[in-house]
Amino acid sequence: MKRNLKPYVLLLPVMLVILGIFVSGLVMALIQSLGYFPVVGLKDITLKYYKEVLTDKSFLSSLSFSLYISFTSSIIAIIVGILLAYSILRSNKKERMEQIVYKLPIIVPHAVAALLMYNVLSQSGILPRILYNMGIISSQSEFPSLIFDNRGIGIILAYVWKEIPFIAMVVYTILSNINDKLSEVALNLGANKRQVFFHILLPLIMPSVFSAFIIIFAFSFGAFEVPYLLGPTAPKALPVKAYIEYNNPDLTHRPYSMVINMSLTFISIILVWLYHKSFKLISKYDG
Amino acid sequence: MKKMKKRSLFFTVIMYSIIFLLLFPLVILFVWSFTKNWPWPNIVPKAFGLRAIKYVFSPTSKSLKTLLFSVWLSSVVTIITLFISIPAAKALGLYKFKGKRLFKLLILAPIIVPPVAVSMGIHVTFIRLGLANTFLGVVLMHIIPCIPYGVRILTNVFEIIGESMEMQARVLGANPYKTFFYITLPMISPGLVSAGSLIFIVSFSQYFTTFLIGGGKIVTFFMLMFPYIQSGDRMMASVYSLIFILTSLVLFVVIEKTVKAYYKAENYFYI
Repeated sequence: MKRNLKPYVLLLPVMLVILGIFVSGLVMALIQSLGYFPVVGLKDITLKYYKEVLTDKSFLSSLSFSLYISFTSSIIAIIVGILLAYSILRSNKKERMEQIVYKLPIIVPHAVAALLMYNVLSQSGILPRILYNMGIISSQSEFPSLIFDNRGIGIILAYVWKEIPFIAMVVYTILSNINDKLSEVALNLGANKRQVFFHILLPLIMPSVFSAFIIIFAFSFGAFEVPYLLGPTAPKALPVKAYIEYNNPDLTHRPYSMVINMSLTFISIILVWLYHKSFKLISKYDG
Repeated sequence: MKKMKKRSLFFTVIMYSIIFLLLFPLVILFVWSFTKNWPWPNIVPKAFGLRAIKYVFSPTSKSLKTLLFSVWLSSVVTIITLFISIPAAKALGLYKFKGKRLFKLLILAPIIVPPVAVSMGIHVTFIRLGLANTFLGVVLMHIIPCIPYGVRILTNVFEIIGESMEMQARVLGANPYKTFFYITLPMISPGLVSAGSLIFIVSFSQYFTTFLIGGGKIVTFFMLMFPYIQSGDRMMASVYSLIFILTSLVLFVVIEKTVKAYYKAENYFYI
């Protein structure tokens, strides 16, 4: 009996924090989103806030803006990341490149990634300066605004910059652990390198790439800093919108903010579930 | 044979181009930190200077004090997180039990579920408990996103080392405390160092949680840096970012060297 309880006892401290702060934070958000906020006299449980928010045009445009940013940046990061991993593997300077790519995303936080994009892409950034000096554009204003723009180019590129090394390291680790014999057999049987890549290596890395995709998608979907720093006034990314609603001095407005938070959470819970599924896929390949 | 060489040249070019695109913005950041005057449309600054750096290091700016405070806060977070992660990792790494999958998912969830929702949800409770705007409140909030990294890395370590050594010690008459301090701790210490460095950096880079729960009373280095980025003050923002990056890098390199002395640490991914 004592032996059976041991793992639960060992997990207790971490679970106290997870349940006490993380889960109860989400539960509190849920309760407030249902209109129960006794501090300001809201005591009726109602779905009215959900109805209002979920049919609100500005909410829907924020939701699609957030989904679009996360999806686009994650797909670009995945493609470039795989390309980078594969080319490092084929190069003869593996060690040094590995080190750079591994350290980069760890030491540079998202807000700094936003600054990097601002330094390069804004209308007074280094890129328009270079184009001007090459004679491609003749004035500052000819350069399209890529920061604070409603296509979210600046936000997307900041995420891409941050996520390429992450994807590259995930893929690189798997690629370098894949038995060379598989590729050799295929080559011996007459496959060319391209065929080996698309028919042998790609299927093997796909499950891990999928779970990495989920992680970067979820992260960029729920993160506040980058869209707050580089985003347009409209549409706003969902986390930024949630914060702006939260900041409303009228506290009876609070449930609106919490409905947005619950939408963020709901989508991320679906993503956790998908992540879980992808792990089953990975273990299938391992076996 | 010739064709092979051409192919590998192709991939080398691709590799260097991507690495260049990743590093180029950092070079610009570096140059901005030492710039005095850089008007449009110059590609290189008109004049270099140390104005921004001098400001950061001047006693009136409080930046160094804040940096030290941040290091202290993140160290506290690191120690507490490691402390609670060790037993959890042991449970997940060594034992089979009911609900293990659910526990694993719960521990991973803070990476995926937006911290924005969690912080706003818990804020009122923290105000009521007197934890808002306090050091302890911010530390508690930082622990949440750190747990997934701590537990996952240490779980791998426990999976590798197994339980046999501890069992031997127990059979030979060591009590649980002795077993922990003389057997378990030395065996997991390289893992502790890499988990610790990652946790430190996660805590060091927190913005929203510190901002909301700290309520402007608890000011970390990141909080000083953020307004400069927000207002587009390139010179100041670049200097602060550079100091931030260097602090993380120094910590990271020192730790990597320490860990390599034990064994070649596996790479742990961080987003």
